[in-house]
Amino acid sequence: MNPLIALMIIVPIICALFLNLLHKKDRTIKAIAIVMAITLPLLPLLANYGLHYFGGYEPLYQNPALSKGLPSLITGTALNTFHPAITYSFQDAQKLFIFILGLVAFLAIIVSLFETRRPSGVYGFMMFMGVAAVSALILTDDIFNFYVFFEIAALATVGVVLVSQVKGNYETALKYMILGSIASPILLLGIALLLGVTGNVNITDIILSLKSGAVNPQNPVILMACGMIFFGWLYGSGLPPFHTIKSAIYSKALPHGAALLQAFSVFTFIALGIIILRIFSYLPLSQLVIIGVSLLAMIMGITMAILQTDLKRMIGFLAVGELGYIGLGLGLGTALGITAGLFQAVNEVVITAFLFIGFGTIYYQSGESDIRKLGGFMVKNPKVALLVLLSGFAMAGVPPLNAFQSKLMLIQASVQAGLPELGVIMILLSIVTFMTFMKAFHAVYMRPQPSDLEIKNDFIPKATILALSILLLVCLLLGLFPQMATNYLQGISTSLAGGVP
Amino acid sequence: MIMDTQLASLFTAGALIVIGIFASVFLDNLIKKVIGLAFIGDGANLFLIAMGYKPGGIVYIYLPGMARDWFAQNSAYPLPFAMVLTSIVIGASTMAVMLGIIMVLYKKHGSLRASKVLGE
Amino acid sequence: MIEYILMFTTILGAILALMQRDLLKAAILTGIPGASLAFLYQYLLAPDVALTQAIVGSAIIPVFIALAVYKTRRVED
Repeated sequence: MNPLIALMIIVPIICALFLNLLHKKDRTIKAIAIVMAITLPLLPLLANYGLHYFGGYEPLYQNPALSKGLPSLITGTALNTFHPAITYSFQDAQKLFIFILGLVAFLAIIVSLFETRRPSGVYGFMMFMGVAAVSALILTDDIFNFYVFFEIAALATVGVVLVSQVKGNYETALKYMILGSIASPILLLGIALLLGVTGNVNITDIILSLKSGAVNPQNPVILMACGMIFFGWLYGSGLPPFHTIKSAIYSKALPHGAALLQAFSVFTFIALGIIILRIFSYLPLSQLVIIGVSLLAMIMGITMAILQTDLKRMIGFLAVGELGYIGLGLGLGTALGITAGLFQAVNEVVITAFLFIGFGTIYYQSGESDIRKLGGFMVKNPKVALLVLLSGFAMAGVPPLNAFQSKLMLIQASVQAGLPELGVIMILLSIVTFMTFMKAFHAVYMRPQPSDLEIKNDFIPKATILALSILLLVCLLLGLFPQMATNYLQGISTSLAGGVP
Repeated sequence: MIMDTQLASLFTAGALIVIGIFASVFLDNLIKKVIGLAFIGDGANLFLIAMGYKPGGIVYIYLPGMARDWFAQNSAYPLPFAMVLTSIVIGASTMAVMLGIIMVLYKKHGSLRASKVLGE
Repeated sequence: MIEYILMFTTILGAILALMQRDLLKAAILTGIPGASLAFLYQYLLAPDVALTQAIVGSAIIPVFIALAVYKTRRVED
């Protein structure tokens, strides 16, 4: 029993509630938010691996005092090993994911505190609540608990969009909520069907009853449940057909908010993706469907990114397209493929946050995100221009930055799995990604400044530069020493691939 | 009896979900859309409740004097019911947020028609 | 037998609520499926859920919608 595991959820929730109470006390909000944000990446580093049972209800076989005197109907059957409590499992992969989520959240919160003129407690509330919800999504081993935090994460996403005061944010938020209110009950129905068939909501127990033959794994109801949970997955992570609304959500949030929102959707993507792989990977079509959807996401996301004129919308579509790489890795089903996919997920969170915060300086300075009206920022702040250029290199997969390593691993994995065509598509789309990025970079930084462009803030806060430097450092570190991340991911990918290393 | 209660409630849940999806997709009024979304949530909840129902069973409250084995065999399955409690509250709060956004949008656009408010 | 009547009123109430042109009537009629669901939960052996649903479904949600209608417009355009 490790109390720090529960604290990873409780600390951000308490901080969120506390910030909401402090209204219009700017100094206090700033101080508290900074202190609490620092703890977010530290907690997973300090915690030990293990399982946390809420309420302390362990499985019966672990607690002989409790099982004494119970009839053999309970102790002699599978009931003995079932998990009666909501179980959180914290292993090495979760450690890496929550650390990266905490780091991005920390940087986004710091940047937001220094870039908004009056730090608002409500904005902090939404950000911390989202971090708590997504940490729970990564940790939880209980599929209904997953649904609850899935809904909270969606509400927090909407909240981040609502407080941004970007034009058209309310309309986009309402559209997102309407789609969400159709998709989440469908996810709940999928969970209900699984519960009806297996009698459990704990994922480990569901897998146990499917593997041990207590439930017929070829039952068509399970196929239906798989389809419904898959639909929830598409919505939660913004794969097609939800890619337009997801990128609109990113573009209507403030840049630091968008940096955090994309981290939310990537981690929702892998958390639910891992659950789907764990439960349904024996179904014949599941991996094929995952690969198909991922390919569609890559192609649609990246080709639509070229057509955009809004800077944030463009990065939003690129972020959706990059999700496809992760999905391809998961869909390959081999240990190397899954490691590469999860590694790509970590890299993508860092790089997209880097891009959003980097291009966010433009929005901060001019209040404009239409690339046709921008230009001439290279002269104003060459340092930031260099950092943004490096982030674009990182996204396209230029060595020695981190996405190079993960994309190389993905291509190797696809060749090994006998699908070299996927590798070709990935390389082509990387080139298109780079082209899109260079188009935006040229328009914003290299062109002469249009005469009607009005500069609101001349100086970029030091905190933003610091955040960008930290993100660059992470990119470089992961690019030079990919083992730092892949060692953490080996365990989970081996177990997902069915024990084959 | 034409069909048993559990099956009938599953059908009711399905009908509620279909009505809700129809309303939220095809009706143009935003408030009607939200009402439809509430029905989808209700349908999912009823579906879960019907999962835990046991024909001819008893309520899952253990009273003193009941035999333990008899209770275990006859009570309804309480896990889905506990889940529905959470789900109802989530649905209500989501709906409150949506209605709040609709009020703001009405002030801005002066209309409740989705084609006018949500279209470009 | 009463379960079947409750199921029938649930679906009928839902359809009726969606057919109104007056949105305030629609808001009030939303309470009918909410309340019948609460009774239905009682018959499906879930008394605690029935209590929650009775409050949320037949009071809170209609009041929320009625408030929203009051703040916006009453007749569907």
